[in-house]
Amino acid sequence: MAVVTPAAPAATEEDKELLISGSEAVAEALTLADLDVVTAYPIRPYDTVMQAIAKKISGGQLVAEYIVAEGEHSQFEIVKHASTVGARVFCGSSGVGWMYAMECLVVTPPLRVPMVALVGNRALDDPGAFGVEHNDALVVRDVGWMLCWIDTSQEALDTTLIAYRVAEDRRVFLPLAISADGAFLTHSQALTMVPPKSKVDRFLPRYDRGDLLLHPDNPITVAPQANEDWVIEIRRQNYEAMARAVTVIDEAYADFRRVFGRGPENPWFEEYMADDADVILVGMGTISLPIKVAIRELRAKGKKVGLVRLRWFRPFPTERLVAALSRAKAVGVIDRDYSFGSPFGSGVVANEIRAALYNAERRPPLLSFICGLGGREVTLEDVYKATDLCYAAATSGKSDPKTHWLGVRE
Amino acid sequence: MAETTTFGNATQILEPFRGVKRVTIEEYFTSGHRTCQGCESALVMKLMVKASGPRTIVLGSTGCMYVANTTYYTTPWVVPWMHTQLGSSGSAALGTAAGLKALMRKGKMKSEPINVIAFCGDGGGADMGLGAISATLTHKEYNSLILLYDNESYANTDIQLSGMTPYGANTTFSPPGKVKRLIHTRWKKNMAGLMAAGHPECRYVATVCASYAVEMMNKVRRALTIGGPTFIHSLDPCPKGWDYDPMLSHELGELAIETGIFPLYEVEDGQVKYYGKTKAIVEGRARKPVREYLLKQGRFAHFVEEDLDYFQAKVDEMWEKWEIPAVVPFRRLDATRAALSAK
Amino acid sequence: MAALICEVVYRGIFQKNLAARITRGIVLSARKSGRWGIAFGRYGDSPQRNGIPAKDFAIVADTKEELEQNMARYEPKHVDVTIAVDDTLSKGVESWAWYGLQPINRLTVPDGTLLMTSLQSYDSLLQDIHKKDAPYKLALIRAKASFSGLWVYREDHTEVRILGALAKIAPSFLTLQGVGEAIRESEWGSDLKVDSAKKAYERLESRDVTMTEGNAEIPYSFEMPKWWEMREGVTIPAIPVGKPKEAGKGYVPERNPYFKKFTTRTMRPVVNFDTCVKCTLCWIQCPDSCFDVMPDGTYDANMEACCGCGVCEAVCPVENCITMVNESVFDDNASQWEMWRKDKQTYQAWMAEKIGDKNATVRSHGFRFRGQYEKELEKNFEGGGAEITAGIPGENAQHKEG
Repeated sequence: MAVVTPAAPAATEEDKELLISGSEAVAEALTLADLDVVTAYPIRPYDTVMQAIAKKISGGQLVAEYIVAEGEHSQFEIVKHASTVGARVFCGSSGVGWMYAMECLVVTPPLRVPMVALVGNRALDDPGAFGVEHNDALVVRDVGWMLCWIDTSQEALDTTLIAYRVAEDRRVFLPLAISADGAFLTHSQALTMVPPKSKVDRFLPRYDRGDLLLHPDNPITVAPQANEDWVIEIRRQNYEAMARAVTVIDEAYADFRRVFGRGPENPWFEEYMADDADVILVGMGTISLPIKVAIRELRAKGKKVGLVRLRWFRPFPTERLVAALSRAKAVGVIDRDYSFGSPFGSGVVANEIRAALYNAERRPPLLSFICGLGGREVTLEDVYKATDLCYAAATSGKSDPKTHWLGVRE
Repeated sequence: MAETTTFGNATQILEPFRGVKRVTIEEYFTSGHRTCQGCESALVMKLMVKASGPRTIVLGSTGCMYVANTTYYTTPWVVPWMHTQLGSSGSAALGTAAGLKALMRKGKMKSEPINVIAFCGDGGGADMGLGAISATLTHKEYNSLILLYDNESYANTDIQLSGMTPYGANTTFSPPGKVKRLIHTRWKKNMAGLMAAGHPECRYVATVCASYAVEMMNKVRRALTIGGPTFIHSLDPCPKGWDYDPMLSHELGELAIETGIFPLYEVEDGQVKYYGKTKAIVEGRARKPVREYLLKQGRFAHFVEEDLDYFQAKVDEMWEKWEIPAVVPFRRLDATRAALSAK
Repeated sequence: MAALICEVVYRGIFQKNLAARITRGIVLSARKSGRWGIAFGRYGDSPQRNGIPAKDFAIVADTKEELEQNMARYEPKHVDVTIAVDDTLSKGVESWAWYGLQPINRLTVPDGTLLMTSLQSYDSLLQDIHKKDAPYKLALIRAKASFSGLWVYREDHTEVRILGALAKIAPSFLTLQGVGEAIRESEWGSDLKVDSAKKAYERLESRDVTMTEGNAEIPYSFEMPKWWEMREGVTIPAIPVGKPKEAGKGYVPERNPYFKKFTTRTMRPVVNFDTCVKCTLCWIQCPDSCFDVMPDGTYDANMEACCGCGVCEAVCPVENCITMVNESVFDDNASQWEMWRKDKQTYQAWMAEKIGDKNATVRSHGFRFRGQYEKELEKNFEGGGAEITAGIPGENAQHKEG
């Protein structure tokens, strides 16, 4: 990939501030990225992004093929194929809609299709519920999708631009799902800085599919049926691509900061008052809001509590996370997901972090919390309770493997 | 070499071949495939791209023509080819056409009409992929051809019955037994009629059989030049699943037409046009008895006279009772017509 | 502790049911003497194709532990008995699922047995069977290959003849009595079949094959690329476009370099270029695009690509212009047209010999009509009905009957 050498922003290139939802912020980014093909199908809450894109197209700001599919399976297949002929594509879904597309989701990583998708996280049926749970996006965690979670409208916009930069890098060529918590992000509006197109063009090169382009000028056969003589080599290639994504993500955030003058130093997770914290709470997505409020209250009472909000779940920032967490006296992981029958019955994130810490020189006690399922509000009391339990573990120095359900009527 | 259709979509100019000696000599589907001896579907692939020419992208959904045709590290395809999921032929055609269109109209790719053909088997097309094909046939702004190669079973996986398996046929999901002679008693879907009747803006639907190679290729050429999404249903004798000497593939294709079981027709802008030996049947030539076709295949070897009679009666019905014989199964509207004219 | 490992190499679909009967029969026969066993197919071959070679295996052992020891692999690496139920497989095996040509005796252990059904002489077979770096036995059941299809079985007793022969080859695992009991108990068994097994036991021919005997050709092999050598995205290059045969005339399609149909064929077309009317039908109707267009407008069946289906013969309108001939009578895969161009008289003589050999042109490759197999077997039952032909089908083939 041609590495972009950003120039200093010109004085005329000013961001404009808009009051928009996370979904609208994504639509702004897609317009700036000159999206080529997008497919829509209704399901709450992600589909607000498709409504926003439709307006961009009918308003003439974005020129793209906008296809309303007849189901999520087709929705994802259509953009998969559009991507193989060189089009920049976007798609998305929520909850069981994402599950309906499952077959099409698993084929994109081995085909090395740099699709970017928005998952408006939603509880899986049954019971049918609109509220947030992270299980939908997490089901693809093992198959080669890059997964990240966003927290604000601004992060939604910025991450969408970064997503194309990373996914379409020839070293990576993997699909990327941006997860946004249903309701909290998809349906609330915040003040968001929208950059000018000129800056975006300096950050985001054109998608070049190179020798994988399906076109009469590059005659290839893609995805023949393979037997046991070949499959493990193909998986090995995917493994390597995901490993390379780590470097590419670091590069992309560094360039993003240079071009746009904002964005995190650490792409992988946000640390809030975690430097000197005795207890670090870990979560993904908008759960950070009540935790941050609670932390300020707790700090006022002299309790040194901090937050690590994971942005990237795949690739998983193992070493960096271990370095950040092993400083603490106790770690509490708050999962907005479940993994029934898993080790200790913990949520997915808790068990990933447990595994990451296994070889760490210093392993703080780790507590697992499940909270906020189905969009249930995560209250300050929930956070205080989690903190108390973490302090108890920090004092005793012992990990309590039990999984704690918070905010359940008992 | 571009033609602009009424929808503003440029297509290639592909004139019909005037006779077998004028057929293009180049092959765009050659060797390297591992299909059965006498595989008629492989022949369909060859003729399909012979008709379309080199500026073509082919998408193939899961099935024999994926698994046996393209076994990793070998390929028979000269033109670009890509696998798509079992139920995705419609989506593959649509996505590929949309991607090309987007890039061309935004100046990101050299503008030229590129043929997009997605194929599916009877399982992938008429069962699992029906919804996606149906959707694609409503997207008139994207040029594509969906070709259903119908070998009347899930022939790759082990010959399991599909919605296109003929009444009573032996498959691994419908083995004739001592107590139940016939397990499969559904009548085959009428795919081409269904596609033509259900998608008013799909300008071209045809049925073909590779036993009539030139006509088959010309239907492909028509489908690729008329503009918008089009659909072709090809009946492909399958020596593996139908159980016959592979040498008979060509002859069985002919018998399917001559018995009237599989009609050859095209529906262009709503006009039904029978062709080949089907046209002769419509014009009065006697249909051969279905037993001449059925009893040449091991999959019907368990049939008794009663089964043959039922099959014959159902085929007779197609020709004698259907409003548009062998195309649309609505019963004749004589009574309605009489009532209307009386007013 | 001992085990007997057998492979059955057969023609996909044509002999699928036959191979399953044989491997099941081996296990059930050995069970009669208290052995344990397992019968299984090579999973990679499982979506079988008509004519493409495939393998089934049977392992029988004294104890369950020894059986497990031999089962703990994808497929056996060595077999005591290789059973080939079609003698054209003597040219080698390129399965549906692997690359490169494997000699038919590749897995046969030193001093093991290659058991074939064949009407050919030992010498004729050893012209095709590749040399092996160890001696082995070549045992023959005198019958022609038994071909049928998935649904209608050809009851020519081939499966029981194989079992009877195995009782002779490996009597410590399969006794003739055990074989007889297993046959009688199976749903396809009969007293007549038990007799056939006994006859095969008595009549089995066998001779030692030394390391110096056999076809010296080095079989085509294929080196698998490493993971980082493979193009990403499950992508491979397409086949390049073809080119004129010579001097801007004719047309030869480019062909896949890795998979050839040499061992898929059981028969091949022999073309009379002198009577060809250049109607194009063989060329246009060939599912394998195997006909190269010659500068004079005739069509030469390229043996790299021909799978031997016979559609060309069925559609050819000229009497004896294309004739399918059994693969066993050919020594190479050379171009017939080049031979004809070089010396037309020699070619005519060669062709007349090939298409005049009734044993080589007789065809029974699956179902054509109800009662066909019984009719074929009415005469010469012991030899598998070798003398019977159902006539060549096809709308242009009236003249070929009788």
